[in-house]
Amino acid sequence: MGSGLSMNRQTAFWALLAPPLLFVGIFFVVPLLNLFWVSLHGASSTELFGSNLSGENYYRILTDSFYHTIILRTLWAGMSIMLLCLVLGYATAYVIAPLPPRTRLIMLLLLVAPLMVSNVIRAYGWIAILGRQGVVNSMLRSTGLIDGPLLLLNSFEAVAFGLMTILLSYMVVSIVNALNAIDRQYIEAAQSLKANPVRTFIEVVWPLSSPGVASGTLLVFLLTLSAYVTITLLGGPRMKLLVSLVFDSVSGFRWPLAAALSFALLTLALVVAGLILALLRPGRVQGRG
Amino acid sequence: MRGLLIALTGFSYVVVLLPILIVVVTAFSASEFFAFPPKGFSLRWFEAFFASDSMRGAFSRSLQIATIASILATVLGTMASIAIARRKGTLFNLVQGMFLAPLIFPAIVLGLSLLIFYKSIGGVPDFLGLVIAHSVLGLPFVVRSVTSSLLAVDPALEEAGQSLKASPVDVFIFIIAPLIWPGMLAGGIFAFILSLGELNTALFLTGPGVTTLPIEIFSYLQFQGGQLVIAAASAIQIFMIIAIVLIAERLIGLKRIVRSES
Repeated sequence: MGSGLSMNRQTAFWALLAPPLLFVGIFFVVPLLNLFWVSLHGASSTELFGSNLSGENYYRILTDSFYHTIILRTLWAGMSIMLLCLVLGYATAYVIAPLPPRTRLIMLLLLVAPLMVSNVIRAYGWIAILGRQGVVNSMLRSTGLIDGPLLLLNSFEAVAFGLMTILLSYMVVSIVNALNAIDRQYIEAAQSLKANPVRTFIEVVWPLSSPGVASGTLLVFLLTLSAYVTITLLGGPRMKLLVSLVFDSVSGFRWPLAAALSFALLTLALVVAGLILALLRPGRVQGRG
Repeated sequence: MRGLLIALTGFSYVVVLLPILIVVVTAFSASEFFAFPPKGFSLRWFEAFFASDSMRGAFSRSLQIATIASILATVLGTMASIAIARRKGTLFNLVQGMFLAPLIFPAIVLGLSLLIFYKSIGGVPDFLGLVIAHSVLGLPFVVRSVTSSLLAVDPALEEAGQSLKASPVDVFIFIIAPLIWPGMLAGGIFAFILSLGELNTALFLTGPGVTTLPIEIFSYLQFQGGQLVIAAASAIQIFMIIAIVLIAERLIGLKRIVRSES
């Protein structure tokens, strides 16, 4: 009877695990492997991809200086947004974290609820504020400070600023969680040893909050890589990042190139994630990954 | 120093909330074009929204996709969580990592890989293709919140049920489900909201005549300029999210809402 029961459990385990495992396998893992396979082919005018295996797409990305410019610009955009989010997000988290629990939750909700609003709507909000007929320009014009509209959109800065505001909440929440996980005794110990607030911050608070900083910066960078709609709306047609090239290749039906560019994007994600983890070493904080 | 920190915090709240506020205010304006402050109050742009076949169609399609995808994600995610929540070992970590991967995986790559996959197997209807993509994206949120609910359940309860010869289905219905439903609901609600606003896979998977509301708004902004009907479309989505947050607050509490997002 004992073995009957364990048989029963074994069947139940597989009956539960098989459907989700198959679903993710078929619609996440297999398409990704297929994408890689497609990226290893030349283009074809009639089929999805040419018949011969070739590394021409990757060769092109690695050797063509056009792609280098775009990849560097993507990295630069990601870094700028990450740094902006880190400075603003850390300051905000530092103010919110010590608040009483109920107040803290409400303050966090005010930042988290906007994440549920589609990015296209949040970008539209910035167009309404910064566009030619936008809030800023009409206010400046009515006060007579300017004659023609200021061009505040369609630039690298507009993309960096806009994405910073869209992704900031992730950083704040990650850091608030990390700050609240710090044992108060460490900070009191530093203070009783007469460390001033700056030194306490640098030697105690910052290292102990590194898991939050790591997960926040990681999330911000990874989401920047995919943000095609925000980049297009705030940066205009000429502000291209790596993700725009993926989309452009698809519009031109160059599937293998689009596939290879996707893997360039994934590689960039992995490299930067590795760098962030190596730099911040969140694992050194005990009990957290 | 304290003053600087508070100033930066204030700036954060302004840049996060202001664009959304402006969109909502604009949606109620009476003028033909964008003006700030808006001239007059009217509901004409909401009427224009519901009078437009393409907008209304995209809206109802978005709701249908979000409903089906979030239910699918909740069912599959709950099954996966129950199977592996308490298991240890490299293999199970790997399986769990696979379920959670879409959380941080660049969604644009997922969208392209699904588009090419659908083409490779001879085509999938756009609606179904979107439901599948949004289920894959919603699944990790369900797995995460259900797993944390499950880990809070005392394993002795489950064992007690089994020793009394309850079938696995009975154990789930009478013991596990009543304890983990807030986790299921939180994950499901989040998958629903995510699908409603999702852009990166929808960019690739929507087709002529089969768009979602965010993609419809995006193409209006790109090609037709600033008609205020987009503000109304956006405001409707924002009101829905506020309503969902308020209901969720009653059902599962603020803490879970804040946590399921981050």
